[in-house]
Amino acid sequence: MGHFFIHLKKELKKHTFDYILLVTAGVFFIALLNFYKGERLPEFIIVSFFVSFYILWGIYHHTVDDDIHLKIVVEYVLIGLVLMLFFKLIILP
Amino acid sequence: MKGLFAFLHHLFVPKENNNFRAKALHINVLTYYLLLALVISLALKTIPLEKGSVLGFATDITLEKLYQLTNEQRTKNNLSPLSFNEDLSEGAKLKAQDMFAKNYWSHYAADGKTPWDFILASGYQYEFAGENLAKNFLFSQGVIDAWMASPSHKENVLREDYTDVGFAVVNGVLNDEQTTLVVQMFGKPLPSYLAKAPTKPPQNETVSTQISRREVQSAQSKSYTLPFSFNLSLLFLLYLIVALLLDFYFASRLHIVRIGGKNLAHFIFVAFMLLGLMVLSKGAVL
Repeated sequence: MGHFFIHLKKELKKHTFDYILLVTAGVFFIALLNFYKGERLPEFIIVSFFVSFYILWGIYHHTVDDDIHLKIVVEYVLIGLVLMLFFKLIILP
Repeated sequence: MKGLFAFLHHLFVPKENNNFRAKALHINVLTYYLLLALVISLALKTIPLEKGSVLGFATDITLEKLYQLTNEQRTKNNLSPLSFNEDLSEGAKLKAQDMFAKNYWSHYAADGKTPWDFILASGYQYEFAGENLAKNFLFSQGVIDAWMASPSHKENVLREDYTDVGFAVVNGVLNDEQTTLVVQMFGKPLPSYLAKAPTKPPQNETVSTQISRREVQSAQSKSYTLPFSFNLSLLFLLYLIVALLLDFYFASRLHIVRIGGKNLAHFIFVAFMLLGLMVLSKGAVL
């Protein structure tokens, strides 16, 4: 368990700004969803924006880390799209 | 059992034969998840729905549950439970249908119709009456919780003067969006010496109330579409979180160096989506 937290700490220390940015975007996402709760189209737009932000964040983060690769971008895109599609089942059935 | 363990090991633990990345997070497997979501989306679209039905198809909101939860709140506050009234339910149904037909989300219609007009149209002569509205909730509990969290709606639920309650859960299109409306009508009937001759709707409209009750009963087995989607999304998010955590844990423990997306970032993203899913289960009240 120790290695897990050491690596976690290392990753957070190395990219503090990036993770603060991601968490801040997440907080905004929840706040906006809560503000527009019950309004289906705004909710879907908010989810789409957060997914898009996440993909762009991934590209930015790995570019800064100098390990950007198409495979990595595809991974972020796939995770984002899968979750967006599952959410679409609920928001816009 | 050994085979299952080996499969789970391959799915969640990074090692040589899965290229040091949990199989659950491989790009080809992520593509399968995407295809699965697409297939489910198409399958749900083709499930036949009754035309003009008052069934809330896209939620797990039922009249029985709303009625039970309303009376639970009243009992908690030392009030007598409300009686389920078919006329008030008919009035609630008429109100919901009017909202869809004239595309408004309000207690008062643009043409001046009030909630009391719908109650009277159903044949219920009231001494006291009230209305609560909700839309786009996924669960009955969420609807009641939202009403109880709002002072004006809570006042309606807990008003001593009311003796009867009726509900309608109706699906339709409002402001170009698929919407599930919940209308709750409260009432206390006029004393009999004050009541006019009952203005019950003509025979065929009474029959539609009876039909709607049958529809409501059959709705218990049919209201599966969105709870299924909600549960599926929830399960998938939890599965992803477990996969990401286990992959990160074993990769750090085994000091695996690899090129790939950051599990921590994926975990934060999925965690916020999970929170978002909880928020999405709530709708709006009026």
